[in-house]
Amino acid sequence: MTQTHELKFESPSFAKRIKGMLGVDFYRLFHTPMYYIFLAIAAIIPAMILSMTGMPGPDGTVTQPLYTNTWNIVAANTPLYIIGEIGEYANMNMVFIFGGIMVSIFIGHDYHSGYVKQLFTTHAKKRDYMLSKSLTGAFSMACMCVTYLIGGVAAGMISGTSFEVNIGSLLIAIVSKIIMSLGWASLYTFLNVIFRRYFGISVASSFFLGTGIPIIGAAAILGNSSILNIFLYGSSVYACLSSNILTLPVCAAVSVAWAVIYNLLGSLVLSRCDVY
Amino acid sequence: MNAIEIRELTKNFGSKQALKGLNMTVPAGAIYGFIGENGSGKSTTEKLICGLMPPSGGTIKLYGKDYTDPNVRSKIGVLIEAPGCFPNMSVWGNMMLQAANLGIKNAGEEVGKVLKTVRMEGAASNKFKNCSLGMKQRIGIAMALLGDPALLVLDEPINGLDADGMRIMREVLVDITKDQNRTVLISSHILGELEKIATHYGIVRQGRMIKEMTAEELEAGCRTYVALQAAEMNRAKALLSCKCSRVEEDESGYIRVYDPLAPEDIVTYLYENGILVSEIRTDKIGLEEFYIDLMNERGA
Repeated sequence: MTQTHELKFESPSFAKRIKGMLGVDFYRLFHTPMYYIFLAIAAIIPAMILSMTGMPGPDGTVTQPLYTNTWNIVAANTPLYIIGEIGEYANMNMVFIFGGIMVSIFIGHDYHSGYVKQLFTTHAKKRDYMLSKSLTGAFSMACMCVTYLIGGVAAGMISGTSFEVNIGSLLIAIVSKIIMSLGWASLYTFLNVIFRRYFGISVASSFFLGTGIPIIGAAAILGNSSILNIFLYGSSVYACLSSNILTLPVCAAVSVAWAVIYNLLGSLVLSRCDVY
Repeated sequence: MNAIEIRELTKNFGSKQALKGLNMTVPAGAIYGFIGENGSGKSTTEKLICGLMPPSGGTIKLYGKDYTDPNVRSKIGVLIEAPGCFPNMSVWGNMMLQAANLGIKNAGEEVGKVLKTVRMEGAASNKFKNCSLGMKQRIGIAMALLGDPALLVLDEPINGLDADGMRIMREVLVDITKDQNRTVLISSHILGELEKIATHYGIVRQGRMIKEMTAEELEAGCRTYVALQAAEMNRAKALLSCKCSRVEEDESGYIRVYDPLAPEDIVTYLYENGILVSEIRTDKIGLEEFYIDLMNERGA
Protein backbone atom coordinates (compact mmCIF):
# COMPACT_ATOMS: atom_id res chain seq x y z
CA MET A 1 0.00 0.00 0.00
CA THR A 2 1.34 3.39 -0.92
CA GLN A 3 1.34 6.35 1.41
CA THR A 4 0.54 9.92 0.56
CA HIS A 5 2.88 12.69 1.49
CA GLU A 6 1.65 16.20 2.01
CA LEU A 7 4.32 18.69 1.09
CA LYS A 8 4.64 21.57 3.56
CA PHE A 9 7.54 23.97 3.64
CA GLU A 10 7.94 25.38 7.12
CA SER A 11 10.30 28.18 7.88
CA PRO A 12 12.52 27.09 10.79
CA SER A 13 13.06 30.09 13.04
CA PHE A 14 16.52 31.21 14.15
CA ALA A 15 15.65 30.20 17.72
CA LYS A 16 14.68 26.70 16.61
CA ARG A 17 17.80 26.27 14.50
CA ILE A 18 20.24 27.54 17.10
CA LYS A 19 18.53 25.62 19.91
CA GLY A 20 18.98 22.35 18.03
CA MET A 21 22.56 23.10 17.09
CA LEU A 22 23.57 24.25 20.58
CA GLY A 23 21.90 21.18 22.04
CA VAL A 24 24.02 18.96 19.83
CA ASP A 25 27.24 20.85 20.51
CA PHE A 26 26.77 20.90 24.28
CA TYR A 27 25.80 17.22 24.29
CA ARG A 28 28.95 16.44 22.37
CA LEU A 29 31.07 18.65 24.64
CA PHE A 30 29.84 16.92 27.80
CA HIS A 31 30.36 13.51 26.21
CA THR A 32 33.90 14.27 25.04
CA PRO A 33 36.55 12.90 27.44
CA MET A 34 39.01 15.43 26.06
CA TYR A 35 36.91 18.26 27.53
CA TYR A 36 37.40 16.88 31.06
CA ILE A 37 41.09 16.27 30.40
CA PHE A 38 41.49 19.93 29.45
CA LEU A 39 39.56 21.00 32.56
CA ALA A 40 41.96 18.92 34.65
CA ILE A 41 44.98 20.37 32.84
CA ALA A 42 43.64 23.88 33.49
CA ALA A 43 43.45 23.04 37.22
CA ILE A 44 46.85 21.35 37.42
CA ILE A 45 48.89 24.02 35.62
CA PRO A 46 48.48 26.83 38.23
CA ALA A 47 48.92 24.31 41.03
CA MET A 48 52.20 23.20 39.50
CA ILE A 49 53.41 26.77 38.97
CA LEU A 50 52.64 27.81 42.52
CA SER A 51 53.72 24.69 44.36
CA MET A 52 56.74 23.62 42.38
CA THR A 53 58.58 26.89 41.72
CA GLY A 54 59.31 27.32 45.44
CA MET A 55 60.29 23.73 46.11
CA PRO A 56 63.81 22.71 47.21
CA GLY A 57 65.99 21.30 44.44
CA PRO A 58 68.04 18.06 44.59
CA ASP A 59 70.97 19.97 46.10
CA GLY A 60 68.77 21.33 48.88
CA THR A 61 68.67 24.92 47.62
CA VAL A 62 65.24 26.47 47.53
CA THR A 63 64.46 28.37 44.32
CA GLN A 64 62.76 31.72 44.44
CA PRO A 65 58.99 31.11 43.97
CA LEU A 66 57.62 32.54 40.72
CA TYR A 67 54.83 34.32 42.54
CA THR A 68 54.66 35.51 46.12
CA ASN A 69 50.98 36.38 45.70
CA THR A 70 48.52 33.65 44.75
CA TRP A 71 46.42 36.01 42.63
CA ASN A 72 49.28 36.62 40.23
CA ILE A 73 48.37 33.21 38.90
CA VAL A 74 45.20 34.90 37.63
CA ALA A 75 46.71 38.11 36.27
CA ALA A 76 49.70 40.42 36.53
CA ASN A 77 49.57 43.41 38.88
CA THR A 78 49.55 45.83 35.94
CA PRO A 79 48.90 45.32 32.20
CA LEU A 80 52.12 43.75 30.93
CA TYR A 81 51.97 43.49 27.18
CA ILE A 82 55.74 43.06 26.96
CA ILE A 83 56.93 39.83 28.49
CA GLY A 84 60.25 40.29 30.28
CA GLU A 85 60.58 36.65 31.25
CA ILE A 86 58.52 33.60 30.50
CA GLY A 87 57.31 33.40 34.10
CA GLU A 88 55.30 36.58 33.65
CA TYR A 89 53.34 34.74 31.05
CA ALA A 90 52.03 32.19 33.51
CA ASN A 91 48.55 33.44 34.31
CA MET A 92 44.94 32.79 33.36
CA ASN A 93 45.62 33.86 29.76
CA MET A 94 47.20 30.43 29.30
CA VAL A 95 43.68 28.99 29.44
CA PHE A 96 43.03 30.61 26.07
CA ILE A 97 45.89 28.58 24.58
CA PHE A 98 44.54 25.25 25.91
CA GLY A 99 41.08 26.38 24.90
CA GLY A 100 42.29 27.00 21.36
CA ILE A 101 43.63 23.48 21.08
CA MET A 102 40.41 22.08 22.50
CA VAL A 103 38.24 24.05 20.10
CA SER A 104 40.45 22.90 17.21
CA ILE A 105 40.05 19.25 18.18
CA PHE A 106 36.31 19.71 18.75
CA ILE A 107 35.71 21.31 15.35
CA GLY A 108 38.22 18.96 13.71
CA HIS A 109 35.94 16.07 14.73
CA ASP A 110 33.06 17.76 12.89
CA TYR A 111 34.97 17.55 9.64
CA HIS A 112 36.73 14.25 10.27
CA SER A 113 33.47 12.44 11.02
CA GLY A 114 31.52 14.09 8.21
CA TYR A 115 29.11 15.67 10.71
CA VAL A 116 29.31 19.05 8.94
CA LYS A 117 28.30 17.37 5.70
CA GLN A 118 25.25 15.96 7.45
CA LEU A 119 24.54 19.31 9.10
CA PHE A 120 24.84 21.62 6.11
CA THR A 121 22.54 19.54 3.96
CA THR A 122 19.72 20.46 6.36
CA HIS A 123 18.24 23.92 7.00
CA ALA A 124 21.30 24.83 9.12
CA LYS A 125 22.84 28.15 8.19
CA LYS A 126 26.54 28.78 8.16
CA ARG A 127 26.20 31.67 10.60
CA ASP A 128 24.30 29.40 13.01
CA TYR A 129 27.21 26.97 12.88
CA MET A 130 29.75 29.72 13.62
CA LEU A 131 27.66 31.06 16.50
CA SER A 132 27.02 27.64 18.00
CA LYS A 133 30.71 26.67 17.90
CA SER A 134 31.76 30.05 19.31
CA LEU A 135 29.31 29.79 22.21
CA THR A 136 30.23 26.18 22.97
CA GLY A 137 33.95 27.02 22.77
CA ALA A 138 33.43 30.08 24.99
CA PHE A 139 31.56 27.99 27.55
CA SER A 140 34.31 25.36 27.62
CA MET A 141 36.99 28.03 28.06
CA ALA A 142 34.97 29.74 30.80
CA CYS A 143 34.80 26.40 32.61
CA MET A 144 38.54 26.01 32.16
CA CYS A 145 39.01 29.47 33.71
CA VAL A 146 37.01 28.30 36.73
CA THR A 147 39.00 25.08 37.19
CA TYR A 148 42.21 27.09 36.67
CA LEU A 149 41.08 29.39 39.47
CA ILE A 150 40.21 26.47 41.77
CA GLY A 151 43.57 24.81 41.07
CA GLY A 152 45.41 28.08 41.74
CA VAL A 153 43.60 28.82 45.00
CA ALA A 154 44.10 25.26 46.26
CA ALA A 155 47.81 25.38 45.44
CA GLY A 156 48.11 28.83 47.04
CA MET A 157 46.56 27.51 50.22
CA ILE A 158 48.78 24.44 50.30
CA SER A 159 51.97 26.40 49.57
CA GLY A 160 51.00 29.19 51.96
CA THR A 161 51.39 31.91 49.32
CA SER A 162 49.86 35.30 50.12
CA PHE A 163 46.24 36.01 49.15
CA GLU A 164 46.47 39.75 49.64
CA VAL A 165 44.55 41.59 46.94
CA ASN A 166 42.04 44.31 46.11
CA ILE A 167 39.02 42.03 45.90
CA GLY A 168 37.09 44.33 43.56
CA SER A 169 39.91 44.46 41.02
CA LEU A 170 40.40 40.71 41.30
CA LEU A 171 36.73 40.00 40.61
CA ILE A 172 36.72 42.39 37.65
CA ALA A 173 39.86 40.72 36.26
CA ILE A 174 38.40 37.22 36.62
CA VAL A 175 35.03 38.14 35.11
CA SER A 176 36.71 40.11 32.31
CA LYS A 177 38.95 37.19 31.40
CA ILE A 178 35.97 34.84 31.38
CA ILE A 179 34.12 37.28 29.09
CA MET A 180 37.15 37.29 26.76
CA SER A 181 36.48 33.57 26.17
CA LEU A 182 33.79 34.49 23.64
CA GLY A 183 36.18 36.48 21.45
CA TRP A 184 38.89 33.83 21.68
CA ALA A 185 36.48 31.00 20.90
CA SER A 186 35.24 32.91 17.85
CA LEU A 187 38.82 33.40 16.66
CA TYR A 188 39.56 29.69 17.01
CA THR A 189 36.31 28.74 15.29
CA PHE A 190 37.21 31.03 12.40
CA LEU A 191 40.74 29.58 12.16
CA ASN A 192 39.33 26.07 12.11
CA VAL A 193 36.88 26.97 9.37
CA ILE A 194 39.73 28.45 7.31
CA PHE A 195 41.96 25.41 7.80
CA ARG A 196 39.12 22.88 7.94
CA ARG A 197 40.92 20.43 5.67
CA TYR A 198 44.23 20.72 7.54
CA PHE A 199 43.75 19.66 11.13
CA GLY A 200 47.42 20.08 12.07
CA ILE A 201 47.57 23.61 10.71
CA SER A 202 44.38 24.61 12.50
CA VAL A 203 45.76 23.37 15.84
CA ALA A 204 49.11 25.07 15.22
CA SER A 205 47.51 28.36 14.17
CA SER A 206 45.21 28.31 17.20
CA PHE A 207 48.20 27.72 19.45
CA PHE A 208 50.24 30.43 17.76
CA LEU A 209 47.56 33.12 17.99
CA GLY A 210 46.50 31.94 21.45
CA THR A 211 49.96 32.67 22.80
CA GLY A 212 49.49 36.31 21.78
CA ILE A 213 52.89 36.34 20.08
CA PRO A 214 51.79 38.85 17.40
CA ILE A 215 50.62 41.29 20.11
CA ILE A 216 53.72 40.69 22.23
CA GLY A 217 55.71 41.46 19.07
CA ALA A 218 53.68 44.62 18.47
CA ALA A 219 54.19 45.62 22.11
CA ALA A 220 57.93 45.33 21.65
CA ILE A 221 57.61 48.15 19.10
CA LEU A 222 54.76 50.19 20.56
CA GLY A 223 55.57 49.64 24.25
CA ASN A 224 52.84 49.14 26.85
CA SER A 225 50.35 51.07 24.75
CA SER A 226 46.66 50.96 25.58
CA ILE A 227 45.91 50.79 21.84
CA LEU A 228 46.78 47.10 22.11
CA ASN A 229 43.58 46.65 24.12
CA ILE A 230 41.60 46.56 20.89
CA PHE A 231 43.01 43.07 20.29
CA LEU A 232 41.95 39.94 22.12
CA TYR A 233 45.31 39.33 23.74
CA GLY A 234 45.65 43.01 24.65
CA SER A 235 42.32 43.08 26.45
CA SER A 236 43.08 39.77 28.15
CA VAL A 237 46.26 41.33 29.55
CA TYR A 238 44.40 44.54 30.41
CA ALA A 239 42.23 42.52 32.82
CA CYS A 240 44.81 42.60 35.63
CA LEU A 241 44.92 42.96 39.42
CA SER A 242 44.75 46.76 39.12
CA SER A 243 41.57 46.58 37.01
CA ASN A 244 38.99 49.26 37.51
CA ILE A 245 35.31 49.52 36.60
CA LEU A 246 36.27 50.50 33.02
CA THR A 247 38.05 47.20 32.45
CA LEU A 248 34.86 45.15 32.32
CA PRO A 249 33.07 47.11 29.54
CA VAL A 250 36.33 47.37 27.55
CA CYS A 251 36.86 43.60 27.68
CA ALA A 252 33.18 42.91 26.95
CA ALA A 253 33.16 45.31 23.98
CA VAL A 254 36.40 43.90 22.53
CA SER A 255 35.30 40.32 23.03
CA VAL A 256 31.86 40.86 21.46
CA ALA A 257 33.26 42.98 18.60
CA TRP A 258 35.81 40.32 17.61
CA ALA A 259 33.22 37.58 18.06
CA VAL A 260 30.95 39.39 15.58
CA ILE A 261 33.82 40.00 13.14
CA TYR A 262 35.07 36.41 13.22
CA ASN A 263 31.54 35.00 13.02
CA LEU A 264 30.77 37.12 9.96
CA LEU A 265 34.07 36.23 8.30
CA GLY A 266 33.62 32.55 9.06
CA SER A 267 30.07 32.56 7.69
CA LEU A 268 31.32 34.28 4.55
CA VAL A 269 34.09 31.72 4.05
CA LEU A 270 31.71 28.80 4.57
CA SER A 271 29.12 30.19 2.15
CA ARG A 272 31.68 30.96 -0.56
CA CYS A 273 33.78 27.81 -0.33
CA ASP A 274 33.17 24.08 -0.53
CA VAL A 275 32.01 23.00 2.90
CA TYR A 276 33.21 19.45 2.60
CA MET B 1 5.91 20.75 -10.15
CA ASN B 2 9.52 19.72 -10.54
CA ALA B 3 11.36 18.69 -7.41
CA ILE B 4 14.71 19.58 -8.96
CA GLU B 5 15.30 21.91 -11.86
CA ILE B 6 18.88 22.60 -12.84
CA ARG B 7 19.84 24.93 -15.65
CA GLU B 8 23.29 25.48 -17.17
CA LEU B 9 25.05 24.33 -14.00
CA THR B 10 28.80 24.71 -13.98
CA LYS B 11 31.37 23.88 -11.34
CA ASN B 12 35.07 24.51 -11.61
CA PHE B 13 37.76 23.04 -9.40
CA GLY B 14 40.69 25.29 -10.22
CA SER B 15 41.27 24.90 -13.95
CA LYS B 16 39.24 21.67 -14.13
CA GLN B 17 35.61 22.05 -15.18
CA ALA B 18 33.63 19.28 -13.48
CA LEU B 19 30.22 20.41 -14.75
CA LYS B 20 29.85 22.06 -18.13
CA GLY B 21 26.35 23.53 -18.27
CA LEU B 22 24.40 20.58 -16.91
CA ASN B 23 20.61 20.65 -17.24
CA MET B 24 18.42 18.35 -15.22
CA THR B 25 14.72 18.05 -14.48
CA VAL B 26 13.44 15.73 -11.80
CA PRO B 27 9.64 15.70 -11.56
CA ALA B 28 8.13 15.60 -8.07
CA GLY B 29 7.40 12.03 -7.05
CA ALA B 30 9.97 10.53 -9.42
CA ILE B 31 12.58 7.98 -8.50
CA TYR B 32 15.35 9.38 -10.61
CA GLY B 33 18.26 7.11 -11.46
CA PHE B 34 21.32 9.26 -11.99
CA ILE B 35 23.83 7.39 -14.10
CA GLY B 36 27.31 8.15 -15.33
CA GLU B 37 30.91 7.01 -15.35
CA ASN B 38 33.31 7.78 -12.52
CA GLY B 39 34.23 11.46 -12.72
CA SER B 40 31.27 12.31 -14.94
CA GLY B 41 29.93 14.82 -12.40
CA LYS B 42 27.23 12.84 -10.55
CA SER B 43 28.56 13.36 -7.04
CA THR B 44 29.45 16.99 -7.77
CA THR B 45 25.89 17.64 -8.97
CA GLU B 46 24.48 15.98 -5.84
CA LYS B 47 26.79 17.94 -3.54
CA LEU B 48 25.70 21.15 -5.25
CA ILE B 49 22.03 20.26 -4.85
CA CYS B 50 22.67 19.54 -1.17
CA GLY B 51 24.40 22.88 -0.60
CA LEU B 52 27.79 21.39 0.26
CA MET B 53 29.52 23.54 -2.34
CA PRO B 54 28.55 26.68 -4.23
CA PRO B 55 28.13 26.41 -8.01
CA SER B 56 30.39 28.36 -10.36
CA GLY B 57 27.40 29.19 -12.55
CA GLY B 58 23.84 28.24 -13.39
CA THR B 59 20.76 27.79 -11.24
CA ILE B 60 19.42 25.06 -8.97
CA LYS B 61 15.78 25.18 -7.97
CA LEU B 62 14.17 22.78 -5.56
CA TYR B 63 10.38 22.78 -5.65
CA GLY B 64 10.56 26.10 -7.47
CA LYS B 65 12.66 27.77 -4.76
CA ASP B 66 16.36 28.56 -4.68
CA TYR B 67 18.31 25.58 -3.35
CA THR B 68 19.71 27.63 -0.43
CA ASP B 69 16.25 28.50 0.89
CA PRO B 70 16.10 27.04 4.45
CA ASN B 71 12.37 26.38 4.02
CA VAL B 72 13.04 23.93 1.25
CA ARG B 73 16.27 22.59 2.76
CA SER B 74 14.33 21.42 5.82
CA LYS B 75 12.53 18.92 3.56
CA ILE B 76 15.63 17.31 2.05
CA GLY B 77 17.25 14.11 3.24
CA VAL B 78 20.73 13.30 2.06
CA LEU B 79 23.20 10.45 1.97
CA ILE B 80 26.36 11.58 0.20
CA GLU B 81 29.13 8.95 0.09
CA ALA B 82 28.97 7.79 3.73
CA PRO B 83 26.85 9.06 6.64
CA GLY B 84 28.47 11.76 8.77
CA CYS B 85 28.48 10.11 12.15
CA PHE B 86 30.72 10.22 15.19
CA PRO B 87 32.46 6.84 15.25
CA ASN B 88 32.58 6.41 19.03
CA MET B 89 28.93 7.32 19.50
CA SER B 90 26.11 4.82 19.28
CA VAL B 91 23.86 4.60 16.24
CA TRP B 92 21.02 5.89 18.40
CA GLY B 93 23.12 8.80 19.70
CA ASN B 94 24.13 9.85 16.20
CA MET B 95 20.53 9.67 15.03
CA MET B 96 19.36 11.74 17.99
CA LEU B 97 21.94 14.43 17.21
CA GLN B 98 20.66 14.72 13.66
CA ALA B 99 17.08 14.79 14.95
CA ALA B 100 18.05 17.64 17.30
CA ASN B 101 19.63 19.57 14.42
CA LEU B 102 16.42 19.15 12.47
CA GLY B 103 14.37 20.30 15.45
CA ILE B 104 12.23 17.15 15.42
CA LYS B 105 9.67 16.82 18.19
CA ASN B 106 9.27 13.29 19.60
CA ALA B 107 12.79 12.59 18.37
CA GLY B 108 13.02 9.19 20.09
CA GLU B 109 9.86 7.96 18.42
CA GLU B 110 10.92 9.27 15.02
CA VAL B 111 14.41 7.77 15.29
CA GLY B 112 12.92 4.41 16.28
CA LYS B 113 10.60 4.55 13.28
CA VAL B 114 13.28 5.28 10.69
CA LEU B 115 15.65 2.70 12.18
CA LYS B 116 12.87 0.16 11.80
CA THR B 117 12.36 1.21 8.18
CA VAL B 118 16.00 0.43 7.40
CA ARG B 119 15.98 -2.80 9.47
CA MET B 120 18.40 -1.39 12.02
CA GLU B 121 16.25 -1.30 15.15
CA GLY B 122 18.27 -4.13 16.69
CA ALA B 123 21.59 -2.32 16.26
CA ALA B 124 20.66 1.04 17.77
CA SER B 125 23.00 0.62 20.73
CA ASN B 126 25.99 -0.42 18.59
CA LYS B 127 28.82 2.04 18.25
CA PHE B 128 28.83 3.47 14.74
CA LYS B 129 32.45 2.43 14.19
CA ASN B 130 31.53 -1.22 14.83
CA CYS B 131 28.87 -1.31 12.10
CA SER B 132 29.49 -3.00 8.75
CA LEU B 133 29.47 -1.02 5.50
CA GLY B 134 25.96 -2.18 4.70
CA MET B 135 24.74 -1.15 8.15
CA LYS B 136 26.43 2.24 7.84
CA GLN B 137 24.73 2.86 4.52
CA ARG B 138 21.37 1.97 6.03
CA ILE B 139 22.07 4.28 8.97
CA GLY B 140 22.80 6.98 6.41
CA ILE B 141 19.44 6.36 4.78
CA ALA B 142 17.75 6.41 8.19
CA MET B 143 19.36 9.79 8.87
CA ALA B 144 18.20 11.05 5.50
CA LEU B 145 14.67 9.92 6.33
CA LEU B 146 14.52 11.91 9.56
CA GLY B 147 12.07 14.79 9.36
CA ASP B 148 9.96 13.10 6.68
CA PRO B 149 11.80 14.64 3.70
CA ALA B 150 10.05 15.36 0.41
CA LEU B 151 13.31 14.89 -1.50
CA LEU B 152 15.90 12.22 -0.86
CA VAL B 153 19.34 12.47 -2.44
CA LEU B 154 21.22 9.19 -2.24
CA ASP B 155 24.73 8.97 -3.63
CA GLU B 156 25.62 5.40 -4.53
CA PRO B 157 23.95 3.74 -1.53
CA ILE B 158 24.32 0.25 -3.00
CA ASN B 159 27.97 0.31 -4.03
CA GLY B 160 30.39 -1.81 -2.08
CA LEU B 161 27.70 -3.97 -0.49
CA ASP B 162 27.76 -7.76 -0.53
CA ALA B 163 24.87 -9.77 -1.98
CA ASP B 164 22.97 -9.88 1.31
CA GLY B 165 23.58 -6.20 2.00
CA MET B 166 22.36 -5.38 -1.48
CA ARG B 167 19.21 -7.43 -1.00
CA ILE B 168 18.37 -5.66 2.27
CA MET B 169 19.17 -2.29 0.73
CA ARG B 170 16.91 -3.05 -2.24
CA GLU B 171 14.06 -3.86 0.17
CA VAL B 172 14.72 -0.65 2.06
CA LEU B 173 14.76 1.40 -1.13
CA VAL B 174 11.51 -0.17 -2.28
CA ASP B 175 9.95 0.67 1.10
CA ILE B 176 11.06 4.29 1.17
CA THR B 177 9.96 4.91 -2.40
CA LYS B 178 6.42 3.69 -1.65
CA ASP B 179 5.52 7.22 -0.69
CA GLN B 180 4.30 8.45 -4.05
CA ASN B 181 4.95 12.10 -3.38
CA ARG B 182 8.51 11.59 -2.21
CA THR B 183 11.11 12.30 -4.83
CA VAL B 184 14.29 10.23 -4.78
CA LEU B 185 17.45 11.10 -6.66
CA ILE B 186 19.68 8.07 -6.58
CA SER B 187 23.00 7.53 -8.27
CA SER B 188 24.55 4.13 -8.70
CA HIS B 189 26.89 2.13 -10.89
CA ILE B 190 24.80 -0.97 -10.30
CA LEU B 191 22.31 -0.36 -13.06
CA GLY B 192 20.54 -3.69 -12.68
CA GLU B 193 19.46 -2.69 -9.18
CA LEU B 194 18.53 0.81 -10.27
CA GLU B 195 16.36 -0.54 -13.07
CA LYS B 196 14.15 -2.27 -10.51
CA ILE B 197 13.07 0.94 -8.79
CA ALA B 198 13.68 3.99 -11.03
CA THR B 199 10.85 5.77 -12.82
CA HIS B 200 13.11 8.29 -14.53
CA TYR B 201 16.72 8.29 -15.67
CA GLY B 202 19.37 10.88 -16.31
CA ILE B 203 22.62 9.93 -17.97
CA VAL B 204 25.52 12.28 -17.44
CA ARG B 205 28.83 12.28 -19.23
CA GLN B 206 31.82 14.59 -18.87
CA GLY B 207 29.81 17.14 -16.90
CA ARG B 208 26.84 17.27 -19.26
CA MET B 209 23.45 15.59 -19.24
CA ILE B 210 23.35 13.51 -22.40
CA LYS B 211 19.95 11.90 -21.94
CA GLU B 212 16.94 12.17 -19.68
CA MET B 213 14.07 9.73 -20.07
CA THR B 214 11.29 7.97 -18.23
CA ALA B 215 11.27 4.24 -17.51
CA GLU B 216 8.59 3.90 -20.21
CA GLU B 217 10.79 5.66 -22.75
CA LEU B 218 13.66 3.38 -21.82
CA GLU B 219 11.39 0.37 -22.20
CA ALA B 220 10.26 1.55 -25.63
CA GLY B 221 13.77 2.44 -26.69
CA CYS B 222 15.30 -0.85 -25.65
CA ARG B 223 15.64 -3.26 -28.54
CA THR B 224 14.13 -6.73 -28.50
CA TYR B 225 16.38 -9.60 -29.51
CA VAL B 226 16.24 -13.35 -29.84
CA ALA B 227 18.81 -15.31 -27.79
CA LEU B 228 19.57 -18.90 -28.70
CA GLN B 229 21.90 -21.78 -28.15
CA ALA B 230 22.47 -24.41 -30.81
CA ALA B 231 24.49 -27.58 -31.34
CA GLU B 232 27.04 -25.92 -33.63
CA MET B 233 27.35 -22.38 -32.34
CA ASN B 234 29.99 -21.11 -34.79
CA ARG B 235 28.17 -22.41 -37.86
CA ALA B 236 24.83 -21.21 -36.53
CA LYS B 237 26.29 -17.74 -35.99
CA ALA B 238 27.80 -17.71 -39.48
CA LEU B 239 24.50 -18.78 -41.03
CA LEU B 240 22.49 -16.23 -39.12
CA SER B 241 25.01 -13.50 -40.00
CA CYS B 242 24.30 -14.15 -43.68
CA LYS B 243 20.56 -13.72 -43.13
CA CYS B 244 20.46 -10.97 -40.46
CA SER B 245 22.02 -7.52 -40.17
CA ARG B 246 23.15 -7.80 -36.51
CA VAL B 247 24.16 -11.04 -34.83
CA GLU B 248 26.36 -11.15 -31.72
CA GLU B 249 27.49 -13.68 -29.17
CA ASP B 250 27.00 -12.47 -25.58
CA GLU B 251 29.07 -13.17 -22.47
CA SER B 252 26.84 -16.12 -21.48
CA GLY B 253 27.51 -17.90 -24.77
CA TYR B 254 24.14 -17.11 -26.39
CA ILE B 255 23.80 -15.95 -29.96
CA ARG B 256 21.75 -12.76 -30.10
CA VAL B 257 19.78 -11.84 -33.19
CA TYR B 258 18.63 -8.22 -33.12
CA ASP B 259 16.65 -8.32 -36.37
CA PRO B 260 12.84 -8.49 -36.01
CA LEU B 261 12.55 -12.20 -36.67
CA ALA B 262 10.18 -14.64 -34.97
CA PRO B 263 11.99 -17.36 -32.93
CA GLU B 264 10.18 -20.08 -34.89
CA ASP B 265 11.51 -18.65 -38.17
CA ILE B 266 15.05 -18.78 -36.81
CA VAL B 267 14.57 -22.35 -35.56
CA THR B 268 13.20 -23.40 -38.97
CA TYR B 269 15.99 -21.64 -40.86
CA LEU B 270 18.72 -23.31 -38.79
CA TYR B 271 16.96 -26.69 -38.91
CA GLU B 272 16.83 -26.49 -42.70
CA ASN B 273 20.60 -25.95 -42.60
CA GLY B 274 21.15 -28.98 -40.37
CA ILE B 275 21.48 -27.23 -37.01
CA LEU B 276 19.33 -28.06 -34.02
CA VAL B 277 18.43 -25.24 -31.62
CA SER B 278 18.63 -26.38 -28.00
CA GLU B 279 17.27 -23.18 -26.38
CA ILE B 280 15.64 -20.02 -27.71
CA ARG B 281 13.91 -17.02 -26.11
CA THR B 282 13.08 -13.38 -26.81
CA ASP B 283 14.45 -10.70 -24.50
CA LYS B 284 15.07 -6.98 -24.26
CA ILE B 285 18.34 -5.22 -23.58
CA GLY B 286 18.43 -3.80 -20.07
CA LEU B 287 19.45 -0.42 -18.73
CA GLU B 288 23.07 -1.49 -18.46
CA GLU B 289 23.33 -2.42 -22.12
CA PHE B 290 21.33 0.61 -23.15
CA TYR B 291 23.78 2.73 -21.19
CA ILE B 292 26.82 1.01 -22.69
CA ASP B 293 25.39 1.38 -26.20
CA LEU B 294 24.67 5.06 -25.57
CA MET B 295 28.16 5.62 -24.23
CA ASN B 296 29.66 3.84 -27.23
CA GLU B 297 27.56 5.94 -29.61
CA ARG B 298 28.59 9.17 -27.88
CA GLY B 299 32.19 8.01 -27.66
CA ALA B 300 32.21 7.28 -31.37
